[in-house]
Formats: sequence, C-alpha cells, structure tokens
Amino acid sequence: MTIDIMSTTTDTSSTPAGAATGRPRPGGTDSRTGRRPGGRDFLASLPWIGPALILIFGVVLFPAVVMFFNSTRDISISGVDHGSVGFDNYVEVFSFPYFWPIFARTIVWVVVVVAATVVISLGLAQVLNKAFPGRRIVRLAVIIPWAASVVMTTMVVYYGLEPYFGIINKFLVDIGLVDTPEGYGWTRNPATAFAWSIVVAVFVSLPFTTYTILAGLATIPGDVLEAAKMDGAGPMRTYVSVILPQLRGALSVAVLINIINVFNSLPILKVMTGSIPGYDADTIMTLIFKYIQNQHKVDVASALSVVAFLIVIVIVAVYVKVVKPTKEV
Amino acid sequence: MKKSLRLSAAVAVAAAASLTLASCGFGGGSGSGDEAGGTTLDLLVPSYSDSTQGLWEDVIEGFEEENPDISVNLEVQSWDNLESVIATKVQGGEAPDIYNGGPFAGFAADGLLYPAEEVVSADTYGDFQESFLANAEVDGTAYALPLIASARALFVNNALLEQAGVAAPPTTWDELLDAATKISALGGGTAGYGMPLGSEEAQAEAAVWLWGGGGTFGDATEITVDDPANLPGAEQIKKMIDAGATQADPGSTDRSPLMDIFIQGKIGMQVGLPPTVGQIEENNPDLDYSIVPIPTQDGSPFTLGVMDQLMAFQNDGDKQDAITKFLDYYYTSDVYVPWVQAEGFLPVTKSGAEALGGEEALAPFLEVLPDAQFYPSTNPQWAATDAAFKALFGQLQTKPAQEVLTEIQAQADAG
Repeated sequence: MTIDIMSTTTDTSSTPAGAATGRPRPGGTDSRTGRRPGGRDFLASLPWIGPALILIFGVVLFPAVVMFFNSTRDISISGVDHGSVGFDNYVEVFSFPYFWPIFARTIVWVVVVVAATVVISLGLAQVLNKAFPGRRIVRLAVIIPWAASVVMTTMVVYYGLEPYFGIINKFLVDIGLVDTPEGYGWTRNPATAFAWSIVVAVFVSLPFTTYTILAGLATIPGDVLEAAKMDGAGPMRTYVSVILPQLRGALSVAVLINIINVFNSLPILKVMTGSIPGYDADTIMTLIFKYIQNQHKVDVASALSVVAFLIVIVIVAVYVKVVKPTKEV
Repeated sequence: MKKSLRLSAAVAVAAAASLTLASCGFGGGSGSGDEAGGTTLDLLVPSYSDSTQGLWEDVIEGFEEENPDISVNLEVQSWDNLESVIATKVQGGEAPDIYNGGPFAGFAADGLLYPAEEVVSADTYGDFQESFLANAEVDGTAYALPLIASARALFVNNALLEQAGVAAPPTTWDELLDAATKISALGGGTAGYGMPLGSEEAQAEAAVWLWGGGGTFGDATEITVDDPANLPGAEQIKKMIDAGATQADPGSTDRSPLMDIFIQGKIGMQVGLPPTVGQIEENNPDLDYSIVPIPTQDGSPFTLGVMDQLMAFQNDGDKQDAITKFLDYYYTSDVYVPWVQAEGFLPVTKSGAEALGGEEALAPFLEVLPDAQFYPSTNPQWAATDAAFKALFGQLQTKPAQEVLTEIQAQADAG
C-alpha cells in the first residue's frame, strides 16, 4: 500500500506540474519545432520512453488483460482452466445476495475514511506549517504511520482490542467503560470491527494527506496573507477565503489518491474483520479476497476485480467531472 | 479538448493505481529445473509446529545421503496460505511433486495425482492401517497416502470444575450445559465452555456438535449439511451460547487463540488435539487438567478424526521413481515414528502404532480413535463445503440454525 501511494504520487503530481509549465508558453512543443510530432520523433524518443512503456504494458496492461480473461473462464478449485463460460462469473457476482450491502459498505468505507482523513490532515498541516521549537521532530513523527507496514500497524491495534489480554480492552475495563472483566470483543462484532478499521485506515492515510497539504501550504505566498490581514480579515476568514481556495490543487490530488487507495485497501479490513463469519463487515476488496482464499474461485474473484476496477473508474470520473481538480483558481 | 485530456489522464492514473493491487496476485513461482545429472523433487508442506521445518530437513538430509542423485527442495507454508499456494502453483503448471495437505479429491478429479499404490512399494502400502487408507480412496483407488492422524477429546480444567461444584466431567450435552453454565457463573472473566466457531477451524467444532447429535456432513458422493439430522447439534450450540455457557462472541473466535486462554486457566472445558498436551506442558505446566471423551447428545463415545495426507502430483510424469524412493524412505519406522512423535500426532502405519503404543500422553487419544468419524474428504465438493463452514458457520450466534445450515449447503453446492 505504501508502494501504491509512492507510485501514484509521482504519476499524479506530474499532471498538474505539466499543466503549469504548459501555461506560460501556449502551443508548447508544436510551436517551437514548427511541425507535428511524427513517427521519426517517436522512434527517437523510444530509448527514453521505452522502459516506461515496457513497465506499463508488463505491470499494468498485461495483468489487466489476464484478469479479464480469467473472469470469463471456468477455473477449478485446484486451478485448472476448464474453458470459457462467457459472463457467467459476472452473473454470479451480481446475484450474490450480499453483494449490494457490501457495495454500499464499500462506499461508506471510502467516503468516511477519506473525509475524516482530509479534515484531520487540514488541521495537522496547519499546525505543522507554523514555526515552533521541535517542529522537525513532530513532522518526522507524523511520517511514522506511513513508514510502518500497514499490516503491522493494524496488528498492533488488533491485539490491543483482543478480549482477555488486549491492552486497549484492559484500559477500557480499568476505567469502567466496559463491564465484562475480560473486555469487549471489538473485533468480533461486525459493526465495531468495521468502525475500528475506519480508525486505523484514517491513521495510516494521515501522513500522505498531511504532507500533500503541507506542500500546498508552502506554495501560498506570504504577501497574499499579508494583504488579507491589511484588509482586516480575521484568522477564520483568511483560512476559508484565502488559504483553502489556494489549497485546491493539493487537496484534489490528495482526495483523488486517497479515494483509490482506500477503495483498494485490503490489509486493514482483512486483519480487523477476518474472523467474523458471514459477510456483514466486508467490502468489495475483502470479498475478492474471500473468493480467492476461502472458496478458491479465481474466476469469480477476477470478475469481481473487473467490476471493482470499473467502480473506481466511475467514482474517479464523477469526481473529476464534479470537482474539476485541475481547474485553475 | 484539454479538459477531456485531463479527464482521461486522471482516469489513467486511477487505472494504474487500482491495478497495482490486482497485479499482486500474479507472483509467479520460480521454476525449479533439474540439476545437472540428478532429479529434484519439490516438496510442499504446511507448518504443524515451530519444529516442522527442522524435522523435514532432517528427513531430507538422511534421504539425500542415501540417494545422492536425488535432491529435495523443501517449501514450508502456513496452514492459512497452504491452499492458495497450491492452487496458484497448479494453475501456473508448477505443482510440487509431493504435497502434504488436507482435501485431495479435487486434485484427483482433475487427474493430477498418482494413485497411491504407484508411488510406494508394496511393503510400505501394506503397512498403512486400512481404515485410514479407505479414507483416502476415490472410486476404490487411493490417491493419497495417510500421513498423520489426530483425534479430538475434551480438555477439562479440574480446578474450575471443582470450584463450580461439578463432581465429574460431563459425558452428555445436558451435563455439559449444566457444568459450563456453573463455571461461567464463577465470574471474573471465566468461561464454561470454549467454543471456537471462527473461521480458523469452524468445520471441526461444527463436526463435534452436529455429529455428536447424530448428524453427518455426507459421504463420498453427496454433501448433506442441510439435513434434519444436523439440526439438534446446531440447536444445542445456540442453547449453549444463549445460556451464557461459552466465552463471549463464539461466532468469531478462532481455535488457537482460544486454546491459549484455556491454557491460561480461564476456560472450563474445550475440545483439543494431541499437540495441546505439549502446549500445556510448555506454557503452563501447573494447569490441573484431564482429558475425557467428547460429550454427545446421548453420551455414546465419538471423536472427530482428522487425517492429513501426502499426495504425489504427476507433472511431467518422469519423477515417479524418485518420488517412490523418497516416500519409501520416509515411511520406514526409523524415520517416520520420530517425526510423528515430535509433532505430537498419531501414527497411521501399523508399525508406527506398535512403536508408540506405550506413550502415555497419546493414550487418551488412541483410546477414542476406534470411534473416530472423518470428514467426507473424498468428496470433490468437500473443499467447498469446508470453506463454507469456515466462512458461515459462526453466524449461528445470531441467525437461526436452519438458515445457517441452508446457506452452507447452498455455498457448498455452488462450489
């Protein structure tokens, strides 16, 4: 997941940067060279873009094609391909009685985690943007959840929540919030396990989001803030009318990447809700995992992966259409 | 134009990001070609305990000394991952030559396995106990070699029983409910009966109760989970939960962590395995406990037997001799008995049973073994049934028994 963030960061941050450099000299490459880029240009650039193309085809497109191919096959439990079944696997996915509740839960999961992450990160970034003694250490501390493995972080919380020996449970029992002496089975009940998963997901998403916003804050020129002060704007008014609009670029990137990452997040929910029977705490990702791990239905899991992929595309397309993250202020 | 370009750029980024996850599933195994002049056998085994890897390494070392032209590649996986690892390998055309696992009928149905008789000598084949061999048959041909057996019995915390005023360990469901309720009433976080219906091994606890009430999961040809005979057991589980005789949230409690709580002395009774004896000795030797047969509806003796198997994949079909040599070596009494003993299981060979007959720790289990009933693991549908139990049986805590059984049957049939 950390790797996901890293790779997507580089991808996306290059988009607005490219747009920005394109602005001062309209027309760009075409006007300078005076002709349209042709086959020879492409050939000449191949040594430079070749490795990236190979990577995109090998790591992104090829697996996607295999995934789609698998989703139309009948693959036995032991992994033998028994031929094509058309779109039967998709029918199975959509006729699964728990699919729509799981779909709704996935949306709740994405919206709540991303919203909470962004709100908390806005506050954190504001604090970290002020100069105070020891700021460097605090900034480093914020990175820690990012640097630690997500599974490890989740495991720590999971064991803390265990009845009988979990430290969080012990604490809650000691201060009298939980009546039963062995503690409460937070991770044993769908609703509480899901809620705690959201807490962990927000926690591990904070560093990236905070730092993106922090970078956005650094680009706000001091004279704009000074002007706002001269015009008599209070701190609240300055924040809402001056700072927030200028954070639009950073925020929209942070939200976009968080949506994708949170939607695709498996490890947190897998650890926190893994022992719960039935499908009352699942999202689409954990359902894919259950198809593979428990039922060994690689074919159906592939079909669901394709569906999940389309859902992400739709969410992102709607987001881009409505929020217009790349629109200039 | 520019706007739509940006839109497609954002969509492309989304595509790349979401595929990173999907592409994780395509980790190809490393090919293991034959080394110069010799044969290499791939051996895939699950980890039974922390010492499993070392025990296999000892076996391999001894074998390679006797057969310098054959080398053996060991891969140890956790039980959690084992079945997805083997599925990935088979799908990638890189099945191991010898595989230690549970369900095998699916592989046999796909024609991937050597019949057992073709990969061991007649002497070795004749040494297996017939009841175990019969349990490895598909249509009259054994496709797997019995490896180890285990039986279950009820571990009872004597001190808690005494404290609660229960005179003797229970033998029937009514006595069990009564005793467990009394122990739970002691308070302080004590639970009467440890009931693990969580995904780890829900099928085992299910068998203990459903079969103890006269039910069955089916046979080699048919899976019958949604059967009136299974209802009494399921209802009794609900009765135990509703009476507060179990620990909290039995539906999502896994077996191993719960056993740890029993070993800590906070649970009155729980069904355990032979290795549990060793675990108690290591972690809490002061625990005052006894091992008794599992209580059933009418008190008749019964235990859930589990047998794990070795199976040999055909792959290219050119390693049959090497596989036979390895298996014959492994099943010789001198190699096999220390292996089984170290893992704390029960032997499946006649010579092994003789050699371990005097073991005191194994005695309570060897005693109940004749009444053992096995999973219908020769049914190709068993793997799906097993998965359905793991995923769904814990819902008994909140849903009506009949509904849960119907749901499991439906998922097993669909698998």
